[in-house]
Amino acid sequence: MKSYLKLVNFEFNRFAKIFAVLLSITLVVQIAGVIVLSKMYLNTANEKIYEELMPKAEFLSSFGQMSFLSVTRSVWFLGPIALCVAGVGFYIFLIWYRDWFGKNTFIYRLLMLPTTRLNVFYAKITNILLATFGFVAFQLILIPIETTIFRWILPKEFRVDMNVKEIVSSMPEINILFPTSFLGFILYYGAGLMVVSILFTAILFERSFRWKGIFVGVLYSIVAVAVFISPLLLQEFVLDGFFYPLELFALEIVMGLIVLAGSIWMSGFLLKNKITV
Amino acid sequence: MIEVKEITKNYGRKKILKGVSFTANKGEITCLIGINGVGKTTILNAIMALTPINKGQILINGETINKNMFEKITFIPDAITMLPQMKISDAMEFMNDFYTCWNQKRATELLGFFKLNEQDRISSLSKGNTAKVNLLLGLAMDVDFVLMDEPFSGIDMFSREEIAKVFTSHLIENRGVIITTHEIGDIEHLIDKVVLLDEGIVIKEFSAEEARENEGKSVVDVMREVYQK
Repeated sequence: MKSYLKLVNFEFNRFAKIFAVLLSITLVVQIAGVIVLSKMYLNTANEKIYEELMPKAEFLSSFGQMSFLSVTRSVWFLGPIALCVAGVGFYIFLIWYRDWFGKNTFIYRLLMLPTTRLNVFYAKITNILLATFGFVAFQLILIPIETTIFRWILPKEFRVDMNVKEIVSSMPEINILFPTSFLGFILYYGAGLMVVSILFTAILFERSFRWKGIFVGVLYSIVAVAVFISPLLLQEFVLDGFFYPLELFALEIVMGLIVLAGSIWMSGFLLKNKITV
Repeated sequence: MIEVKEITKNYGRKKILKGVSFTANKGEITCLIGINGVGKTTILNAIMALTPINKGQILINGETINKNMFEKITFIPDAITMLPQMKISDAMEFMNDFYTCWNQKRATELLGFFKLNEQDRISSLSKGNTAKVNLLLGLAMDVDFVLMDEPFSGIDMFSREEIAKVFTSHLIENRGVIITTHEIGDIEHLIDKVVLLDEGIVIKEFSAEEARENEGKSVVDVMREVYQK
């Protein structure tokens, strides 16, 4: 346990710079987006009301009040989120491959630590989770700050105020990242954890058997996904709606746990018996 | 004792090791010799479970390698095993954090021995000093066995001499060493046992001292005899 925690800390420190850069980009771009979009709306209002002498009520009925959703649906807001998602996606691969390639051969050190090699796997997957939770938490902290700036710039009569929950729930495209219920959280992040464990196993297949390993890794991923969705496939094509939705949900959770456990076992086996530096 | 028993290793269809067997004892320096690609590094990797073998068995003090063994045996590959952005002190701290066999006193002694500055970053070191840091990280551990892969590879004469001094110092006393090197001249007089490899097999295993005393031959003489036959 002690070695695992040390490894988590060590891995996190290695990611800290990239993490800080991505957080900074999110902070700067999203706040800039709030300012730019609010100012643009305000400029249009000023132009119409003070230069073209349009009555305020007519302006509001023509253009409507500005809601914070205008910001959240813009590239200013979604761009940094997409960048962070891509960053984590890229890091899932980088977190393993950087230890093999480059000037250093850090993988030697990791595999020669006097602890079970699965701790390396656990430390790396924990870091992916920590990074994801870190980005989500940062975004949730940032939204109230952004709405405050939004309120500072736009007078009350020109804006629609929304709280964080209203903002998040009205954006289906980011609902997976910010589930509004505990069940949703377990479901989405559990599935995410399972996907990362499958990808890690596929990477370890490649690192164990090189070119053949790519093929085996892809095959393993297909089988794992097939096992995971097998209750859905059975329900749809064989059993013709036999299960109640709740039963199907429970079966999916069981299948997810089986795939997760299978991936961890396989990764442990590869790290112990098949890995090649 | 390290026992390598009939190990075979294939890379695809190519057979690298075809039943290699030898032993290495504590307190002795065993040198693996062979041309490039003969499988010397593969043998060291296999001992440390860093690459799987197809057949055979490797025992360390009678046991197959497991996580606890890494407190008893260390491997110094020909490239640094730490991150380039780390300072030497960070690397030492990392080792201290993870290994109970890490000997900080010896590490400090080795820093002085190799004239290294612990505040230097690994990425800023010359090839010779990088090799010295690599050696420091391996030798500062209180282990029974040290495996070294080409410790003199690509470094200048003066650094080679400094590294060679380690083998005559107390820093290596009472340990079993398995070393692969092409620069045999630097440590020839210190080697106890030689394992000559060719085409994936051990073609000769002999005591360097016996060859010197009984036949009046140096290790290089025996190598010439065997390889130039």
